[in-house]
Amino acid sequence: MAAWDLTVTVEDLGPDAPPLQISVTSDLHIGGVILKLVEQTNLKRDWSDHALWWEQKQQWLLRTGWTLDKCGVHADARLIFTPQHKPLRLGLPNGATLKMRACFSSPVFRTVMGICRVLNLRHPEELSLLRPVEEKKKKKDKDSSEELYDLTDVPLTAGSVQALYNGMPAHFADSPKTEAVYKMLSVSLPSPAPEAIAKLYRPASIVDKTHIHTRWLDSSRSLMQQGIQENDKLGLRFKYYTFHDMDPKYDAVRLTQLYEQARWAILLEDIDCTEEEMMLFGALQYHIGKQSLSQDMVSSCQGMDDLESALKSLEVKMVGDGNSTDMLDNMTAPELNDHLKIFRPKRLTLKGYKQYWCKFQETSISYYKSKEDRYGEPIQQLNLKGCEVAPDVNVAGQKFCIKLLIPAPEGMNEIYLRCENEKQYSQWMAACKLASKGLTLLDSSYQSEVQNIQTFLSMQRSSSAAPTSQTDESINTHSLVSPRYQKKYKPKQLTPRILEAYQNIAQLSLTSAILKFLQIWQALPDFGISYFMVRFKGSRKDEVLGIANNRLIRIDLGVGDVVKTWRYSNMRQWNVNWDIRQVAIEFDGNINIAFGCVNADCKVVHEYIGGYIFMSTRARQQSDTLNEELFHKLTGGHEAL
Amino acid sequence: MDDIDAMFSDMLQEMDLLTQSLGEEAESAPLPKPPTIPGPQEMNFSVGFTDFNASLHDLEDNDLDALMADLVADISATEEKFATEKDTLKGSAPVAPIPSQPPSNLSFPGSSSTLRQATSSNSIAATPPPPTSKPSKEELEEQIKADKIKLALEKLKEAKVKKLVVKVEIMDGSSKTLMVDERQTVRDVIDNLFEKTHCDCNVDWSVCETNPDLQTERGFEDHENLVEPLSTWTRDTENKVLFHEKKDKYEVFRNPQNFYMWKKDKKSLKDMKEKDKEQLLEENFCGASVIVPDLEGILYLKEDGKKSWKQRYFLLRASGLYYSPKGKTKASRDLVCLVQFDNVNVYYCKEYRIKYKAPTDHCFILKHSQIQKESQYIRYLCCDDEWTMTLWVTGIRIAKYGKQLYDNYKAAVRKAAGSATWASRSIQASSSASTPSPTPKARAANGHAPQPAVETKGSSNQTSFPPPPASMETLPPPPPDPMLPPPPPAPPSTNKVNQFPPPPQFPQSSFPPPPMDDLPPPPPPPPEDSELPPDFLPPPPPIFSSCGGEALPPPPPDPIASLPPPPALQNFASAGGAPPPPPPPPPPPAPAPAASKPAGSVRKVAPPPPKRTTPQLAAPSVG
Repeated sequence: MAAWDLTVTVEDLGPDAPPLQISVTSDLHIGGVILKLVEQTNLKRDWSDHALWWEQKQQWLLRTGWTLDKCGVHADARLIFTPQHKPLRLGLPNGATLKMRACFSSPVFRTVMGICRVLNLRHPEELSLLRPVEEKKKKKDKDSSEELYDLTDVPLTAGSVQALYNGMPAHFADSPKTEAVYKMLSVSLPSPAPEAIAKLYRPASIVDKTHIHTRWLDSSRSLMQQGIQENDKLGLRFKYYTFHDMDPKYDAVRLTQLYEQARWAILLEDIDCTEEEMMLFGALQYHIGKQSLSQDMVSSCQGMDDLESALKSLEVKMVGDGNSTDMLDNMTAPELNDHLKIFRPKRLTLKGYKQYWCKFQETSISYYKSKEDRYGEPIQQLNLKGCEVAPDVNVAGQKFCIKLLIPAPEGMNEIYLRCENEKQYSQWMAACKLASKGLTLLDSSYQSEVQNIQTFLSMQRSSSAAPTSQTDESINTHSLVSPRYQKKYKPKQLTPRILEAYQNIAQLSLTSAILKFLQIWQALPDFGISYFMVRFKGSRKDEVLGIANNRLIRIDLGVGDVVKTWRYSNMRQWNVNWDIRQVAIEFDGNINIAFGCVNADCKVVHEYIGGYIFMSTRARQQSDTLNEELFHKLTGGHEAL
Repeated sequence: MDDIDAMFSDMLQEMDLLTQSLGEEAESAPLPKPPTIPGPQEMNFSVGFTDFNASLHDLEDNDLDALMADLVADISATEEKFATEKDTLKGSAPVAPIPSQPPSNLSFPGSSSTLRQATSSNSIAATPPPPTSKPSKEELEEQIKADKIKLALEKLKEAKVKKLVVKVEIMDGSSKTLMVDERQTVRDVIDNLFEKTHCDCNVDWSVCETNPDLQTERGFEDHENLVEPLSTWTRDTENKVLFHEKKDKYEVFRNPQNFYMWKKDKKSLKDMKEKDKEQLLEENFCGASVIVPDLEGILYLKEDGKKSWKQRYFLLRASGLYYSPKGKTKASRDLVCLVQFDNVNVYYCKEYRIKYKAPTDHCFILKHSQIQKESQYIRYLCCDDEWTMTLWVTGIRIAKYGKQLYDNYKAAVRKAAGSATWASRSIQASSSASTPSPTPKARAANGHAPQPAVETKGSSNQTSFPPPPASMETLPPPPPDPMLPPPPPAPPSTNKVNQFPPPPQFPQSSFPPPPMDDLPPPPPPPPEDSELPPDFLPPPPPIFSSCGGEALPPPPPDPIASLPPPPALQNFASAGGAPPPPPPPPPPPAPAPAASKPAGSVRKVAPPPPKRTTPQLAAPSVG
């Protein structure tokens, strides 16, 4: 067989080195080509990660057993000999950028699996990569100031990483630098400055939201094939909103990143919520931020956690042992005694606050005319069990009121207690809060409740002075809500609203606060819907198709109303006509729909639907291994062969 | 140390005094209380009677018998509990005499003396035998003192438990009176009533409260406590507690499509496949957060303090009830929150057309449970028709209670299935597993054969003192239920009990009935470790326990109590993760065909052999 010259550029020789010419025959297999090539470079190094990339055809020649002939390579081909793993800048859900090596030669689905393995994220099938929003080129180069985390030195290990060292996967425990990366991954980041939120891109309409999803990469093709270059930036996001088997014990990173994604979705108004919900989200963010700060790296360790829980249960046991002194204390409950001003708004009275001697005991407040009368009958005794407690506070104006709505058969009794100062307020407020839940001052959470209130008050004080991002104690409440509410309320108005919501969640642990946040997020009506601009067959106008984990939604662009819903459970089959780029779906009862995609590639839509159906098969699969083949079968399309 | 000693002697004396006075009390009032420590919130009164004395006359003799027996059982249960406990703790210690079981068919006049008998045995136990043998041994003394303290505390604890005598009206006009203590859930009360009334025990039976002032009715949810809401009633209240079937109690679980796909034509939903219904439930109730039906539409809202009713466009969200103000869009940001559900309950109303000039009679209100009279804090809403009202009220219940509601339903179905196949005595056993200590004895008094084994065990459960050592360690025990056949799917809407498919070999094969010799009076450390293969069950998933787990009583640690499906345990297990461990009976849910069919359409169908994902082969080691 005739020999001919094959031109191959070896990247490792430097950008200016001329391509190498090697003499080959058509029946030489790829492995042989590589061997010849390596011999010719005279470089001694590990070439095992290198492979041949055929630039004109935009494809990898990965099957070393195939001959050149079988691959279709002829003398005119220009091949590049290059590593399969290259550094990539990953934009994480929490907004940080992480530089790490990723596979450029395998399908994106598998590349994501590799990335997730390094990051210690379980269930990589729920995530994918997307191209970043094209930033308007501003002259000042922001990239230089951007903090970059670097994981490129961490070798990609084969097999699952489960070995924990110092509370983190072993490959993070190598150096302080990598430890910092793990901390960034597993602990939620402080709230951003409000200006930073305002500056970021926010979808203003449902049409804008459809643009987000045009940017997903194709899971069945490699990064190189999709034009991604070394050191390019890509976003890593949860793509399918169905989170399988979430377990805080193993999912520290996954939970944190999911929380971050949800948080940003709310801050950037990706998902709409009501004012009440926003206040609760704000309160939870504040709480999570505070808990994350106080959570030291050491205490987050698995080992320590176990120890802690062991100690806890030991404690419980001791108490359960009928510790007699404890029980004795129970009978002589502590009280609060102080002068407070009380105001009971009644119709047709303008009477203001009047000072009384107040006693807080068990779950009731008794008040007396004066301190001297305290042994007699109180003027009134208020049992706070089941009541509503709301703060009415203005630190700048030194106003510390507690508004109580005490249920009674006739309705609610409205009573205001006015405290002199922060200290008094936080004590009484905490007591009221506990009493409303039927707990007494004895309850172990009392002290922390007092603390919580105090820190929150200090936040209100500092927010007027320091408008920048979160420090240890202070935080600007504007950074907890979306720009819409930043505009609507001044911090001074916002703080009490968030404080009100905060009362109900202040006792949550970090993990349960995150779970709660995710829960409320998932309960939003618009949760988990990905929008695409489509044109239905037979229709003359663009419409929006929403894809959720169990259904497709047709949305009228004019009104924004849901016109029709189809559930996957009624779906018989779906087809893609790749030539005219049209998706056709058949449902039970002879319902057929077909649409073309306006701004996204129809592969993305196809992959989304197939992906969700794949996700729903997971519940039945007992094993933990990912059925990659099935995924590609459901999402691949004809190109995946 | 002396101080404490003295204090306890005092306290014990006082308690004995109180217990003795109890007997006298019993003669004058129908509500003899166990020894109590006067506390600020102590209130025991009867519910369902117009006044205190009337209740005495109203009571039928047999009712009183039952109540007395309840009471005696209470005391002796505490006694026994303590005695057994002491036994287990230190076998060598002097054993307090276990009071003999009170005769089960007391008549009223004699009951007070019986009570005295019981209390006197009480006091015998209260003063443990003096340390005769070796007074020099300090250890022994300490031990006795510790016992004394424990006994005293235990008594106090029992005494602090609030109890109510409740008259429950049954649909046929008759009524039953029973004692409810604050630890009992509505579920327990319903079980109790099942026994007393011998009705068909289907899942629709519910305990309701009515308020004639507001003309409202509300069915209590199974997980709620009954005592708490009832004790906020006013003394002169005419509110009533009813026991009847309410079709809408669990309708959402039988026909979820009517609620979750309410926009669709009802006819097309009528013959939805069971499989699809199950999937709907799975989607909406078994995820990380419960999905609330996306209800929206025009309702009438009674203006604050006015007589007029205004139409508003309302939307239901998990976070509350919203309406969109005139001239605004339905977008979330523009919605105005009418009420959030944390502090309010939802009530059906009657005849509001007359009372409040409502547009229709299909009204419901949202109010704090303690409000008993007309008030500006009540939200009045009116719907066009009855179905709309059911839709909204059910939606609000889902938003308020979340997964708990589903758990309640599953427990109710299990109960109903159990009671259909089992003899009534097995119901007792099953309920005693979840009810607090006094109840087993109470049942004994109702003329049924008690199951002594379960009793002892059940009562030892309740204490806060260390139960038999091992049981603490094994908490939470892996729920044994998955071994049992899962509950039958949504029961038919008719009330015939025998329509429930009898659970296959439920009682016989899975768990043999406890052999009597297995149960010596002092309960040994629970043997469940050996009985339940630990690897058979996944450990209770710790995630999301906040959504339901914490509201539940801790799972009873003893294996025998869990013999019949205890609701608490099951709840515990299913409140856990996203997919509950016991899967619904037909394993392949809907996505299966959907998954394979489309695949076939895209390309050839080939059943994919589960393939192991191979990890990335090459690791770069460049440089």
